[in-house]
Amino acid sequence: MKPLTGFSLLRPPTLVGALEMMSTLEHAQPIVGGTDIIPTFKDLGSKPVHLIDLGLIEELNGIMEEDGKILIGPTTTHTQILTSKVIEKTAPALHDAARWIGSVQIRNRGTIGGNLCNASPAADSAPPLLVHGAEAHICSLEEGHWIPLLELFKGPKMTVLKPNEILIGLRFPTIAGASSSFQRIGRRKGFTLSVVNAAVYVERKDDALKEARIALGSVAPTPIRAPVVEDKIRGKKMSEELIDEAAEACVEVAKPIDDVRGTAEYRKDMTAVLVKRALREAWRRTGGEL
Amino acid sequence: MEYDRILSDLLNRDEYLVVGKKTVRLDALDKLLGKARFTSDYIPKNTMTVKVVRSTMPHALIKRVDTSTALMVPGVVTILTAKDVPGENEIGYALPEQPFLNDKKVHYVGDPIALVCAIDETTAQEAMEAVVVEYEPLPAVFDIDAALAEGAPIIHKENNVAVKTKIRKGDIAKGWKDSDVVVEDTYWSPYQEHMCLEPEAAYAVPDGVGKVTIIACMQSPHLVREKVARVLGWKLNQVRVIQALTGGAFGKKDDTGPLISGYAALAAIKTGKPAAYIMDRSEVLSVTPKRFPVRFKYRSGADGKGKLTAVEVEITLEVGAYANRAPFWLWRQTAHACGPYEVPNVAVDGRAVYTNKVYGGSYRGFGNLALHFAAEQQVDKLAYELDMDPVDFRMKNILRIGSRTTCDQLLDNSVGIDKCLAGVAAASDWAKHREPVRIGTKIRGWGVGCAYHGNSTSRSTPDWSAASLMIHGDGSLTYRTAICEIGQGSPFGHAKIVAEIIGCNLDSIKIEQPDTDSTPDSKPTHGSRGLMMGGTAAADAAIKLRERIIRVASNMLDCPEAHVELRDSQAYNRKKPSVKIPFAEIVEEMHIRGENPASYGFYTSPRRFFDVDTGLGYNYAVYTFAASVAEVEVDTETGQVEVTKIWPAMDVGKVIDPLMVDGQIHGAISQGIGFAIMENLQLKDGVVTTTGFKDYIIPSALDTPEIDDTIVVEEPYKHAAFGAKGVGEPSIISIVPAVVNAIHHATGLRFSTIPITPDRMHKALKEAGKK
Ligand SMILES: Cc1cc2nc3c(=O)[nH]c(=O)nc-3n(C[C@H](O)[C@H](O)[C@H](O)COP(=O)(O)OP(=O)(O)OC[C@H]3O[C@@H](n4cnc5c(N)ncnc54)[C@H](O)[C@@H]3O)c2cc1C
Repeated sequence: MKPLTGFSLLRPPTLVGALEMMSTLEHAQPIVGGTDIIPTFKDLGSKPVHLIDLGLIEELNGIMEEDGKILIGPTTTHTQILTSKVIEKTAPALHDAARWIGSVQIRNRGTIGGNLCNASPAADSAPPLLVHGAEAHICSLEEGHWIPLLELFKGPKMTVLKPNEILIGLRFPTIAGASSSFQRIGRRKGFTLSVVNAAVYVERKDDALKEARIALGSVAPTPIRAPVVEDKIRGKKMSEELIDEAAEACVEVAKPIDDVRGTAEYRKDMTAVLVKRALREAWRRTGGEL
Repeated sequence: MEYDRILSDLLNRDEYLVVGKKTVRLDALDKLLGKARFTSDYIPKNTMTVKVVRSTMPHALIKRVDTSTALMVPGVVTILTAKDVPGENEIGYALPEQPFLNDKKVHYVGDPIALVCAIDETTAQEAMEAVVVEYEPLPAVFDIDAALAEGAPIIHKENNVAVKTKIRKGDIAKGWKDSDVVVEDTYWSPYQEHMCLEPEAAYAVPDGVGKVTIIACMQSPHLVREKVARVLGWKLNQVRVIQALTGGAFGKKDDTGPLISGYAALAAIKTGKPAAYIMDRSEVLSVTPKRFPVRFKYRSGADGKGKLTAVEVEITLEVGAYANRAPFWLWRQTAHACGPYEVPNVAVDGRAVYTNKVYGGSYRGFGNLALHFAAEQQVDKLAYELDMDPVDFRMKNILRIGSRTTCDQLLDNSVGIDKCLAGVAAASDWAKHREPVRIGTKIRGWGVGCAYHGNSTSRSTPDWSAASLMIHGDGSLTYRTAICEIGQGSPFGHAKIVAEIIGCNLDSIKIEQPDTDSTPDSKPTHGSRGLMMGGTAAADAAIKLRERIIRVASNMLDCPEAHVELRDSQAYNRKKPSVKIPFAEIVEEMHIRGENPASYGFYTSPRRFFDVDTGLGYNYAVYTFAASVAEVEVDTETGQVEVTKIWPAMDVGKVIDPLMVDGQIHGAISQGIGFAIMENLQLKDGVVTTTGFKDYIIPSALDTPEIDDTIVVEEPYKHAAFGAKGVGEPSIISIVPAVVNAIHHATGLRFSTIPITPDRMHKALKEAGKK
């Protein structure tokens, strides 16, 4: 651990102000909760120059339901997600994920935008958002555009964001008859990063899977989707056999590594267990029976 | 002296005033409010920072240390190397092979080479990176087999064995002949990091010519004084050591206290400036001593009736770069090798082996945690082999009054392990839980673990303790002990002993922070001796003062001494309790009559000994006993183990405070569960890779199981005040085997290596086809 070097902390009250700073200042970086970025300064001894605190910008915070879509501001904390009735109802997987992120203190400070832009393969809010078909709103002083969330991630701790860009919003559609579930394995019950995590989204039509989406975390350089498996089970009649088939197929999709948190073999095997559990739970949440 | 009887006769009370009662600790409020001061709280801003340049090579000769560029970094005050050490450049605990600063050879990644002194941390960091150390790399060894292999690189001495131990009891050949069942296995118990909340910190202030004052976290101020004086080449009275409240220690700070104090003190006297050395978490994890890793090869036998017949053990302790406490640690494992059972035929051979890794050191349980992890599985296995209930089998062999231990020590008092075991078996409804229970993807199982732990020093080294007590004009008291407050509350336990004997109000006693200029040498806060030894010295001081108070009071009350009762900081005549004299008046009278208001307590443990050829003798003054039952749930899909409930029992001799006993047991349960299923210090090429709370996982509050009421057994130890024995260390020892045996009960799998992490469990279940 290295001593924290000096840096300037700027706290713009408006989005335009923040974007201006991002495009004019060299080595500017957003900060919100600081729960990811501060530890990296200490561990890696990286030297921040300008930290732009997005926390005062009102329009970047909050959860809204509008025209069949859920909008989430990037500075929305995990506690806000956890206590939102709208999220609990429309995106149960995201609610599940928020429940186990860090501790009360971390959930009070840490934000969904920070979780995604930090681009950890283990980020717990990524798989739920991925399966809900979330898009990310990326903006610079010049222009803004929406991209599928999956495209945000480039590698471990790497996003496609340019130095002058910030994430200003997230959105995903609300669909009737849909539900989701998130499962994770940590090395203890709380206060710890996932060794592996998974989210499943389903839309039910009677006893068939009208739509199925699967996302996995900590098994590849970024959070990933499992389209091959999704295609395999989409439209099929739901059954325990189908669940097993999906779970086993996910093992092939997972390309994990060994690290201090767990072995690759364990992560692969757990992918199947978590997908199985998530599929079952998401299905039950739609009112489906097994 | 048979203290337990002496005291009850002396006090002649139907019921003790404070001993055995639940009391709020005198330091509780300060700690709760964040007002307690730890070392860093004493360090003024802008104090000169000391940082340690450490070796980046696991094993190498030092060719050159060049500080010239580093010295030019603006803000650097000085950089000190081995040639600046005025005294002996030696800091080893048991063996003289550990230089204070290395100049010839480094033995692990983290060996100290130079001290950078600078105006602030950033400058010190910059200078540290500019110090050039040129090495000639030597082949390094990272495990015990490589170290023992023929032609292995020599770390300190030929064959890399630091020390050996041995026990030969009975006739082992006969033991095997008498055995109807024999079980054999090899166990591995890894490093464990202490994860004290407070990282190491030391602050040193030069005090004129030829004196230095040190404030630091530690467990033995007098040991720190001795080690620092040696490095400085000074007399003991030139070094003043003050122990600040210490934020967790668990043994670690007994080892690090002298090192960090030495760094700060040398920097302070060389520069003439106050100096502060504070470790960060990654430094703590990377370079400071851990629980010693160890391998046990066990062979145990029993006859058809369920009597243990023979135990043979080969212990290979991995000491890492320096022996440090290894001789004492290894001896404890050797001397306790059979567990708390009577075994007629025993052969134990131990050796402690150097490797080029972070070295081992003191840690709660001192060898006995690993030992019981292995020994208690052996006993469990024998029970299963014999188709006997694991509790019944243990009961048949358990130590009792009149039994002889592994090292043939006759136990003639204070043996309550049978009651502990019976207690937890009853409380947990053991007999009803003989079949594991399937609940969805989980299986629930129950296991038992027993433990014993010799109190006071290992290797039969002489042990004694001291304390002092002073009563002031207003009747308030100052109590001095060098037994350190490291969270456990031993000094407060002493205060309760004093209050019981003197009859003063508890809150009229102030416990001074240990200060070697005024506090008597109580010897270290280790070896489960803080209360047992230190508290008995406190009793000695209190008895002496009490005699004088009684003498004066009987005169003032005009009654025989035997009729004087002391309580609530007052004296009165038992026969005429209406007239009360407050202590303040008695103290005034004491001065007038020439009765000394200060007293010095001193206590020496009965002499212990062992025969070097056989290891047999009277090894430990007394043993604390413990038993636990654990209930676990194993998720057969994920391999996750949850400890859901623990039933603890302990024979503590005499409870001084039930809250403190519970505190120790509850903390130990957490730490024990961490060791059994979670904590996993990882190294790559001799470098620790789990360097913080993020990667080195310890249990959180959420992982704490339900804990049943502690079953307290009180079999008094006849030579200690009120009969009390040590609690802090023994409380952890039975937890690990109870959990591991419960995991076996649930899954049918035996683990000879811990931690049983989810991936290991999953793999084992998969291989056994039980997934
Ligand atoms: C003890 C502890 C436990 C944790 N447990 C978990 C856990 O269980 N699961 C989990 O997923 N994470 C966990 N984390 C990680 C962390 O708390 C989360 O990722 C959190 O959501 C980060 O949010 P933040 O606001 O604190 O991010 P910050 O640290 O403020 O920022 C993180 C990164 O994102 C960038 N950034 C932030 N907002 C934006 C934006 N709007 N546009 C562009 N870039 C932006 C920053 O520049 C920085 O690079 C834990 C962290 C700690 C310290």
